[in-house]
Amino acid sequence: MRRLQPRLAVWGTVTLLALVFVFLGAGMDVEYVIPRRLTRLGAMVIGGVCIAWSSITFQTLTGNRILTPAIMGYEAVYLLLQALLVLLLGTSSVVLLGIHGNFLLSVVVMLVYSWGIHRWLFRDGNSNVYTLLLVGLVLTLVIGTFTQFVQLKVSPGEFSVLQSFSLASFNRVQPPQLLYGALVVAAVALVGRKSLATLDVLSLGRDQAISLGVDYRHSVRLHLALIAALVAVSTSLLGPTAFMGIFVANSTYALARTFRHRVTLALGSAVAIGLFIAAQLLVEHVFNYTTTVGILINLLCGGYFLVLMVRTRGAP
Amino acid sequence: MRTGGLAVFALLCVTSLLVGARQLEWSGDAWLTLTASRLPRLAALVLTGVGLSVCGVILQHLVRNKFVEPATSGGLDAAKLGILLSLALVPAASVPVRMLFALVVCFAAGLLFVLLIRRIQFKSTVLVPVIGLMYGGVLSAIAEFYAYRHNIMQSMQGWLLGDFSRVVQGSYEIIYLILPIVVLTYLYAHRFTLVGMGEGMATSLGLNYPATVALGLLLVAVTVSATVISVGAIPFVGLVIPNLVALRYGDNLGRTLPIVALSGASLLLACDILGRVLIYPFEVPIGLTAGSVGGVLFLALIIWRQR
Repeated sequence: MRRLQPRLAVWGTVTLLALVFVFLGAGMDVEYVIPRRLTRLGAMVIGGVCIAWSSITFQTLTGNRILTPAIMGYEAVYLLLQALLVLLLGTSSVVLLGIHGNFLLSVVVMLVYSWGIHRWLFRDGNSNVYTLLLVGLVLTLVIGTFTQFVQLKVSPGEFSVLQSFSLASFNRVQPPQLLYGALVVAAVALVGRKSLATLDVLSLGRDQAISLGVDYRHSVRLHLALIAALVAVSTSLLGPTAFMGIFVANSTYALARTFRHRVTLALGSAVAIGLFIAAQLLVEHVFNYTTTVGILINLLCGGYFLVLMVRTRGAP
Repeated sequence: MRTGGLAVFALLCVTSLLVGARQLEWSGDAWLTLTASRLPRLAALVLTGVGLSVCGVILQHLVRNKFVEPATSGGLDAAKLGILLSLALVPAASVPVRMLFALVVCFAAGLLFVLLIRRIQFKSTVLVPVIGLMYGGVLSAIAEFYAYRHNIMQSMQGWLLGDFSRVVQGSYEIIYLILPIVVLTYLYAHRFTLVGMGEGMATSLGLNYPATVALGLLLVAVTVSATVISVGAIPFVGLVIPNLVALRYGDNLGRTLPIVALSGASLLLACDILGRVLIYPFEVPIGLTAGSVGGVLFLALIIWRQR
């Protein structure tokens, strides 16, 4: 019974935050304000589930609690794509592709990217996650330079378009994208649900997992593919969220006091959604849009990350 | 080997002087082109190349990790934050004042990074640069929080893209600060080699460990802030060159430092010439060419070492 309490508290807080977010100052305007806010809430839910699921399983696979899949270069690829679109097509890229075209294109490009690096790295059978990490790191730096160059060359008007893509926010989400996102998340959940127990075993480490009879290579590739799909959806939907995964995963472990994925994945989603709603409320009502959700989350989660590193000496 | 390297370097220097939008002829204004633009540019290129690669070596010895350089230890983001601070607090600041801000923030950030890394036990060496990148991300987030409010995000991006086309007589001289830094590094090279062996070993060999680390960080901070202020950030030079040199010549800094410096300068010169002829008569900023050339080299290094 005692173990249930923090979980109930988290879900209660999230529900409360959601209610405040939807109804605060809305004046029961069911024509415009409330539907718009519900759309954003939907984006937060889908994004939150994606981020929590992808970072918790990624940390299980790497056996490391200070990593997030964002570090593997997905967000760099997304930003480069947006920068190239703006550079080649100008501000008309927004009109030309339409918001759905852009969303789908981003998802496809990120999936192709992750398929490419996985295939290239696993081709001779050695699945070293740290090499993957190093390659992602270098690609992040290289692609970052390209993006910087493009950002410098475009006009201020085009830059503001680009900037709206490069900072996480919920404002550009449209209902059809939510539907696509929800479909992907549902598909991933269906596939992943069966292997939750395998994930628990994988968290014991590579050797233990193999000696307990898990097809290690197959499982790692399956889960990396699921992570790729989730990161693609969340990044195209909301934009880059860098550190958020670390914060979500670690506070989830602290709250759940267990590493069983059946518990942590659900609780992590709640934490991520709650964090999104809280950040959005702060942006809307405290900072009055002088900052963005992305910057706020980066500040909070980045600071938390540093504190975590110092307090736990890197072995949380 | 030494003479071969020197010959390549000299060749690159001459090429760098001769390449450009304005053809050099033996008439009236050739001398002006040379003294006002080409020679300053050459000096800036060589100094930056030397400074960045030496910086990479020092950092790698201080942190005892081969993947660390200013870009992967938060140094560049710290310099950016420092410049932003100077703009916020002293809007009319001159270049030296801005550099001082960048230097102080850079040094403080470097110190914090080293302390952080020392506290953490790493399962894999790859994690150190990952932590460094995240650390840089935090510093960047602070800068962005301020920059977004004041709508200077785009200009802030510009500070960090390495570009030598703005180097002309009268606007780049601060980069000469790298010269004494390199001399100092060379004088202390043996101590940095000892630091690279770890605190216990260095202390038992009679080294004042904290003082040497602080000195190294100060040297790095001066170099990074001087380059960021005058030409912008150039990734990978500090990463690729020390690794390639160490693969062949080992880690004795007293012996390898000249080779590292020479190779760094040569790589930067080559990247710059490439950037200048690629879309002649315009030019690609060196941040871009060095970023891609260095990135490809580094990826090749990773794959080759994995075999």
